[in-house]
Amino acid sequence: MNRNTLYTILTAAVLALLIGPIGVAVFVLGFVHGDSPCVLCWAQRTAMVLVALTGLLIVRYGPRPRYIGMGVLISAFGVYMGLRHSSLHFARDVGQGFSAEILGAHTYTWSLFIFWVCLVMMGAMLLAVKDGEAAGEGPRELRPPGRAALWLFLLAVAANMVQAFASTGPPPFMGQGDPVRFSFNPRNWVWSTEEWRPSPVSLRGRWAIEKPDVALAPADPAGSPLAGVPAMTVSRRAKLALPLNGPVTDLAYDAASDRFLLTTHNGVYLTDGTLGRVIRHTVVDVGYSVDLARFSAAAFLDSRTVLAMAENKSYVVLRESDQADAAANYRYFLESPGAFQEASRSRLTTVRAKMMYVMAAAFDPAASALYTVTVPNAASKRLVVSRFDRRDMTLAEEFSPALAEGGPLAFKDGAGSLDGFYPTAAEFHEGRLYVLSAAYSTLLVIDPVRRTVADARVVPGLSKPSGIAIKGGELLIVTEDGALSWAH
Amino acid sequence: MELLNFILIFAAGWLVLRRPERERLAFGLLVASSLLMAALFLIGARGSILPGLNY
Repeated sequence: MNRNTLYTILTAAVLALLIGPIGVAVFVLGFVHGDSPCVLCWAQRTAMVLVALTGLLIVRYGPRPRYIGMGVLISAFGVYMGLRHSSLHFARDVGQGFSAEILGAHTYTWSLFIFWVCLVMMGAMLLAVKDGEAAGEGPRELRPPGRAALWLFLLAVAANMVQAFASTGPPPFMGQGDPVRFSFNPRNWVWSTEEWRPSPVSLRGRWAIEKPDVALAPADPAGSPLAGVPAMTVSRRAKLALPLNGPVTDLAYDAASDRFLLTTHNGVYLTDGTLGRVIRHTVVDVGYSVDLARFSAAAFLDSRTVLAMAENKSYVVLRESDQADAAANYRYFLESPGAFQEASRSRLTTVRAKMMYVMAAAFDPAASALYTVTVPNAASKRLVVSRFDRRDMTLAEEFSPALAEGGPLAFKDGAGSLDGFYPTAAEFHEGRLYVLSAAYSTLLVIDPVRRTVADARVVPGLSKPSGIAIKGGELLIVTEDGALSWAH
Repeated sequence: MELLNFILIFAAGWLVLRRPERERLAFGLLVASSLLMAALFLIGARGSILPGLNY
């Protein structure tokens, strides 16, 4: 490519940048519609202006490597800024966003695309430059298009100076997170130093949630927010003697087949009604496709179909099969690929429980509903019960249960909270959701219709409970290390 | 601070147009403005430096 062609293309690109995103932003959105950039938008707009300036430097002095380097660096940072800014709003419902939109997309999302185009253009131009041509020259005499681009550049920057002065003020004032609409009237100007105030620096922000750990839950019932909770009687204790591949993470019982379901971090075990013998088992490849992380909950969906759920609410549904194709199932299972057919492997999506992990799940066959219960974390301390429709495994309801009015339970200080409970096991039985909390070793009986905690019981002598089941009117509790307790 | 940044950029553009022999100064202003732009963005985004997505 000869130099003149390069300069012509670059001038056109700079003009497009100035007339398009930069000009529209300041003259149309800003001066006409009163749109004010937030502190992040200002940086993105400034970066676009800087990319245009890089192009003008090349037009004036030739394609020096340092100009190209700066152009690439600014555009790359622009892509990061576009992604970082857009990520604040990516997961919202359709149409929701921040401030104005252009052609159906909000302004900050456009910047991601624009910087990406800048990078692509620079790459394409570099491809077209011959060896040894990427060098500078003395100041060139500008042709009319280049001169026009520079004058237009100065006009656009001057307009941005006006808007920046009105919207953000002189230093040390700077852009705001939620700017008020632009006005030429000084009485409407808001200048702020809010962004200078000290605040925590974080790499992942609100998404840095610690993994659940039952060992963190205070087991002593004396710390419970509930007053005078009666204790259950433990009639029998025993130890599991099954060849499991790790600590027990949950337990479920199917009365129709008189069988138990046990899970480990990646194992699924069906046992007889005495928990004395493994009838069928498999070890799931939790790293295949959907990240199943670590199983923390399990439930029978029917007598031949089981669900194993990970802490991150990803799940796998397995159906017992004696004709399973072991070769075809290699991808799903690490052991016993012929014991089950994988019916589905997917993720549950929640709203209130979005930023919390779960360690408890239960299935209500009458309503064909799956329940999960959250464990609190440092950022979100809330007891959230989520109900999913079995037919599409989609969220049907979420609630934070309250104490039943007129019921037997009361808070010690009159206005306590259930959010400190740490549910690690759940079972649905006769219209009630039984939830066992490792914190305070307490069994909560939840009425899912009234969304209340109808009753509670302390279970003495518990340490790291991971699963419960109800058989023959007795509550069977299993702990991570395989200790069994029968209570009533 | 955004105003200061646009003043730097305007000065750089003016040099390119009217004082082309001051190329080094114009480029220095470009670099300074780029650093200021990045710093202002990171100040605004310090609560979550990485994009706020599910990692």
